[in-house]
Amino acid sequence: MESEKINKEITPMPEEVPEWLLDLDKVGFVRRLFLARKWYGGDWWFVAISAVLLVFFIFVGIFPQWFAPYDPREEVGPSLLAPGEAPASYLLITPIESGDIRFIDIADRTNNIGFIIGSAASQAMREVTDELNENAPEGVRYQPRQQRYETLEEGLQSLADGEIDGFIASPEELGETLDDFPTLQDAGTLREEGERGFIFGTNQIGQDIFSRIIWGTRIALIVGLSSALVSFLVGVPLGLISGFVGGSFDRVLTLLMDSLYSFPGLILAISIAAVLGAGIGNIIVSIAVLYVPTYFRIVRGQTLAVKEELYVEAARSIGTKWTTILRKYIFPNVIPSVVIIFSVNVGDAILTEAGLSFLGFGLPPDTPDWGIDLARGQDYVRRAWWLITYPGLMVTMVTLSFSMLGESLSEILNPRLTER
Amino acid sequence: MSSSLRRFLITRLLLTIPMVLILVTLIFFIMRVLPGDPIRSQLGPRVSEEQADALRERLGLNRPLYVQYFDFLWDMVTLDFGTALTQGERPIRDELGERLPATIELTIPAIAITALIGILSGAFAAKNRKKPIDYGIRLMSIAIYSIPIFFMGLLFQIIFAVRIPILPLSGRMDTLLLTQFDSKTNFYVLDSILTRNWPALRSTITHLIMPSITLGLALTGVFVRLTRVNMIEMLQSDFITAGRARGIPERRLVYKHALRNTFIPILTLLGLQFAILLAGAVLTETTFSWPGVGRYLVDRIELRDYTAVQATIAVFALFVALISLLMDIIYALIDPRIRY
Repeated sequence: MESEKINKEITPMPEEVPEWLLDLDKVGFVRRLFLARKWYGGDWWFVAISAVLLVFFIFVGIFPQWFAPYDPREEVGPSLLAPGEAPASYLLITPIESGDIRFIDIADRTNNIGFIIGSAASQAMREVTDELNENAPEGVRYQPRQQRYETLEEGLQSLADGEIDGFIASPEELGETLDDFPTLQDAGTLREEGERGFIFGTNQIGQDIFSRIIWGTRIALIVGLSSALVSFLVGVPLGLISGFVGGSFDRVLTLLMDSLYSFPGLILAISIAAVLGAGIGNIIVSIAVLYVPTYFRIVRGQTLAVKEELYVEAARSIGTKWTTILRKYIFPNVIPSVVIIFSVNVGDAILTEAGLSFLGFGLPPDTPDWGIDLARGQDYVRRAWWLITYPGLMVTMVTLSFSMLGESLSEILNPRLTER
Repeated sequence: MSSSLRRFLITRLLLTIPMVLILVTLIFFIMRVLPGDPIRSQLGPRVSEEQADALRERLGLNRPLYVQYFDFLWDMVTLDFGTALTQGERPIRDELGERLPATIELTIPAIAITALIGILSGAFAAKNRKKPIDYGIRLMSIAIYSIPIFFMGLLFQIIFAVRIPILPLSGRMDTLLLTQFDSKTNFYVLDSILTRNWPALRSTITHLIMPSITLGLALTGVFVRLTRVNMIEMLQSDFITAGRARGIPERRLVYKHALRNTFIPILTLLGLQFAILLAGAVLTETTFSWPGVGRYLVDRIELRDYTAVQATIAVFALFVALISLLMDIIYALIDPRIRY
């Protein structure tokens, strides 16, 4: 009320009043929203910041292709490359007598190219070959035969003997060994110069982590929002009806909901997810089941309180249908608390989804999902911190935004906390 | 004990039974519709039909479903639990007997950490409501709440076991010590103190630090909020105003008078937190390879070991129900205003 008074004071009435301004309530709402920061202080800022963050995350979730530089499922670089580190360059070694040649000249199907077994050179070679094939004219296909060698010396010796046409090795692998083979030369790097690194590094199969967490936003938001929506759509009507009808129906339903509520949600979700199998729809259902009791309890409690109010009594006495009473007189009273639960619930659902995927009960294995990335990264905890840190931070930030919104809204709207 | 209190307790106890029953029944039938079966996960896919049938008969899986169901309920009542279907077919009571102590040993320090940090910072935030420190503490608690517990655990591992290797990465005790360690109660701390095995005690405690701090911190987020909200309400009540009028120092008023009265609602909420604690234990145990009940449950769900999963879930449900019953009783006993 106070805000309205101030509104009127600070809104000067111009000579020619536009029609929309006459409706002071409409003008007042937006202004009140901004003026409210004087009353709510830090909570107002919490709401504002989390709202901005959420809008950003939702935008990223809708258009991940605008942010992600690579396909999240494709192997785009060497495995376990640290953030910002450029991929190792590889040198092509050829006999001196073959003159000045490039990889493209010996990448034909009839050629043999050697490398050391287990080195990342095969991956580098495959990438370069793929790139050549993409730009190749119709009918031309580059696919040199691969020869694997135990040691560098073995490989270089057979190159000098003319058994293979080229050898690929990184400068680190090569060292000074090339000096022992006077007939061989360094024909230059395999890849073009200026190869960029990956800002968040790559995972163990060479996928770009940054692209994966961007696409993961979409999955997390879909799962979080839809499961919260499903619980909302089931829990709120059940709570309304149960509280309104009362009797044994109410007692049985309350008992059922209480048993679900008191049980560790994650374990229930694991069991349901195990039954339904992997898949995004199944995950949504198994998480939605967990939060139905939360809505049910709150809505039922408030319905019980509101249905004794005089205006509900009055509506009933003039013969209003019970569905109308529920919809018009009782439901509006539960909206504020339901909004708060919804917001916290979405954050919770995202956490639960990550937990399910972490335990291996979530989505199909190659989905770009934060929980799956975390589970995979656990095996590399000693070697590659970046596999875990970035997806984990994303889960935290998105959950944080939703919970912060819910928490601060409840601080603002909770009547029990208003100062006397 | 008044007769009305007795009646309340009896009703409460009677209500606990259907709650446990509902969950147990739910899990029994969920397990039966799971794709895959324990026979296949135990014998592998290349097994003849006769062999599978023989095993099915031996394990009692060929009986009608309702027979199995009532059999299982009877097992629960007699606290027998039957034998596991996979991994050596040991009695489930023995398996749980080994793993439950591990989980309890992990959760007790975790609860202590949560209660200490949660209550103190919650009360402090309530006292300084709407000041920067309040917002700071709240932001911290929301942030902690938002970190997936396994991510927190993995971060601790990266920092304190890989980067600065001062703590062991995972497990309950050094493998070397474990081979000569004779455990009677399966509470390693207790065992090593009883046998005066100091290196074992040292190893157990260093292994315990990271998982219990992870679990404890993860629960702190919720706890701070609960304490804060209840404290704010309490600080607005009349007796605090009266105390202030009589000139009792603010510090004493907050940390003695108000906090003591806040314990009651916090205690009841602690009962509900127990479910979160168990879920947290599953993830913490997976992260730190802790051989507790949570990890056991997840493993057995993967193996489709019906009996083991049912029994474990039943134990969980019983635990949750008993704790919440206990909290209600304590609530009724310590608060003289509550009359049933």
